[in-house]
Amino acid sequence: MKIKMKPITRRQFFKTVAGSVVSFAALLASAPRAFAEKFFHEPPWLTKSPYWGMAIAVDNCIGCGKCVEACKTENDVPRQPYFFRTWVERYMIHRSGETKVESPNGGMDGFPPIKKSGDMMRSFFVPKMCNHCENSPCEQVCPVGASFRTQDGVVLIDRKYCIGCRYCIQACPYGCRYFHPKLHVADKCTLCYHRITRGLKPACVEACPNGARIFGDLSNPESPVSKFIENNTVQVLKPAMGTRPKLVYRGLDREVR
Amino acid sequence: MKDIQHILRMAGVFVVVISGFLLVRHLLVPASFGLYGHYRAAAIDDIKALPISFVGQKECAKCHGPRVQEKNKGGHRNLGCETCHGALAAHAAAPAKSRPVRVAEKDMRAFCERCHAASFSRPAKFPQINPDAHNPGAACNSCHNPHSPRL
Amino acid sequence: MDPLMNELAEALNKVVGFIYPNEVELQWSILIVLYPYITGLVAGAFILASLERVFNVEAVRPTYRLSLLTALSFLIIAPLPLNVHLGQPQRAYEIFMTPHFSSAMAMFGFVYAWYLSAVLLLEVWFDYRKEIVMWSQTEKVWHKRIFYKVLTLGVTNISPASLKIDDKIGRAITVVGLPSAVLLHGYVGFIFGSVKANPWWSTPLMPVIFLFSAMASGIAAVMLLYMFLTWARGKAIDMLCIDTIGKFLLTAVIISFTLEMLETIQKAYEAQEHFDILALLMEGKLYLSMIVVQGIMGALIPMFLLGLVQLVKLPDNVRKTFYSAASVLILIGIFAMRWNVVIGGQFFSKSLMGFTTYKMALAGREGLFSAVVIAVLPFIILSVLLYLLPPWKDEGRSGKGGVA
Repeated sequence: MKIKMKPITRRQFFKTVAGSVVSFAALLASAPRAFAEKFFHEPPWLTKSPYWGMAIAVDNCIGCGKCVEACKTENDVPRQPYFFRTWVERYMIHRSGETKVESPNGGMDGFPPIKKSGDMMRSFFVPKMCNHCENSPCEQVCPVGASFRTQDGVVLIDRKYCIGCRYCIQACPYGCRYFHPKLHVADKCTLCYHRITRGLKPACVEACPNGARIFGDLSNPESPVSKFIENNTVQVLKPAMGTRPKLVYRGLDREVR
Repeated sequence: MKDIQHILRMAGVFVVVISGFLLVRHLLVPASFGLYGHYRAAAIDDIKALPISFVGQKECAKCHGPRVQEKNKGGHRNLGCETCHGALAAHAAAPAKSRPVRVAEKDMRAFCERCHAASFSRPAKFPQINPDAHNPGAACNSCHNPHSPRL
Repeated sequence: MDPLMNELAEALNKVVGFIYPNEVELQWSILIVLYPYITGLVAGAFILASLERVFNVEAVRPTYRLSLLTALSFLIIAPLPLNVHLGQPQRAYEIFMTPHFSSAMAMFGFVYAWYLSAVLLLEVWFDYRKEIVMWSQTEKVWHKRIFYKVLTLGVTNISPASLKIDDKIGRAITVVGLPSAVLLHGYVGFIFGSVKANPWWSTPLMPVIFLFSAMASGIAAVMLLYMFLTWARGKAIDMLCIDTIGKFLLTAVIISFTLEMLETIQKAYEAQEHFDILALLMEGKLYLSMIVVQGIMGALIPMFLLGLVQLVKLPDNVRKTFYSAASVLILIGIFAMRWNVVIGGQFFSKSLMGFTTYKMALAGREGLFSAVVIAVLPFIILSVLLYLLPPWKDEGRSGKGGVA
């Protein structure tokens, strides 16, 4: 295959090169600001109200599992130990460097009490649930639009539209989704959307006896969750994933995944 | 023209199939799809309409005012009624038909130990007892009033 | 008791370390292993076909039509494992009605539709049109005659001018078909490679790895089919043809193996947080299927066999044996690779702290029997296609097709 070339004059050539250099330079000069604007994610709750958020105080969790039980009751979650919208993990950190983690039946029946023994250094409970990410991969991969985020910030599943491909379950880095064994669609925490849109709190927040779970409207600076974020050092799970979780933690240990 | 007639016919087949697809699509896509984003907006209403099981203590206070007030003065003030008495929406709607959970005496020990048995995993500042040393076997409510637990 | 709950109870017992409670159940089963395998065969077979058409590798001409029909047979079946696996298969049409453009799975639906209609079906049609018109007039068996008549679209013109146009268009379609085949299977690779939540899957190399291993499996499949069918027809195997195919097969296996090694070595070198559990995965649960079956049996031994053929002059029957053996090993090895990616990626917890198990059911929608049936169907379709559209021009048309 021969490529035909049109002859051009030296003058035309230099004009073209100069023009390209100038436009490229202009592009580069504008790039830093364009970049900065592109990569700054303005919090949606500055313009959208209400915008629901959630926080967990790890150092308040006593591992009673009432939240897990309440969630299953409120949301008719299958009772077997393979399906959870929320669960509690127990971490036991030893001086030897070994960290043991467990979540028997998701923590729904509580945890057997343990004494400080051997080389055990620290032990604590970490409640987990859907992080309602601002850049949620579960929403990104859904092929039909059954996984979506509402205008008030909650990531939901349309049960009547989900085709049950399970891609979203694969895409969630936090393991918070499961496949409903009876409905044959994907399922997960809805932040008790049917409750919070009626002025109630999510069932897990309602059930928690020690204030480990905090819920509220991020667009209201006086709400419990906004105050929590203002007054505490907060972390999120797996920040490097870029999911921008809306669930924040206080007291997340380095061992927690 | 004669030599490309078959190509035109095949192109026609494609046009028919694609038009058919677009027509079917127009008929099958749910009406509320795309209203707020790439999803069926009516799903939000579906989810909002789900039934509620936990009502919250404000509802309990409507009939059990003094009890709720008593609880809110004591150590269990941060617990909802339903944390111990189970989901109460059904009871609030039909108090005689649907009865709340009332922990039996024989189960009291295990029930309270669920939160209060001393465990290294619990925050140290949380009130906990050693079940083997703390009146072993005795039902907790033989000394403690669950709605005002401090002695 | 519910078989699913029994299965999950067993799996829960076998959990090692810590997994998120929802991870006891493996989400994607053997059917999802089968699906990239099948689309891989499509891409591989098609690329072999395009070698002749686009790159003028005359030597592989005897396999041109067979490659196309093989690709078509497997492509028709490709969506079947997906649909059978869906929780709500009756809603599968939604992928075409409201595709979510950010979803690789949704966009694959359109890539598939494009490839099936605009590339494969059209290419087969343009290539066969002359015979189809002739057969529509001379065929004695009535159902075959109707089939041909429908395919002519009512146009019986096979003048040299029209055939020249057909050839030009066919060539153009193959040229477009090459990147389309790359897109088809590359997309399947991307469906896995873009899942950042899973460190076993997440890599930019995944589409490329899938593509080259697909090429190896597709070329191996056509090689075997050609050798088998030629023997079944009582004809002599064209040695130049399979020698050439063998060269391409060796190239595909070398590139595929190199990419996979690069992936593994880089992961080991970078030693990111997730590497520890992946190393445990490779040393433990995946040792047999990955190191032994995929690596040694499926790549190293075929490379040795095919490489020896290039280095040492070997008699015809030895080469035939080597090609057959290498092709069988490659087909098994590439299946193992799909297994290692799909199932392997679900063995370890995203907490990076534990493992679950997969016990493949025998019966049921997602069981082994179901997978075997789905795997056999393309061959049934292929025999029907060989019957209706015999690939070898020297064959008589009515009744026999391409098989003695």
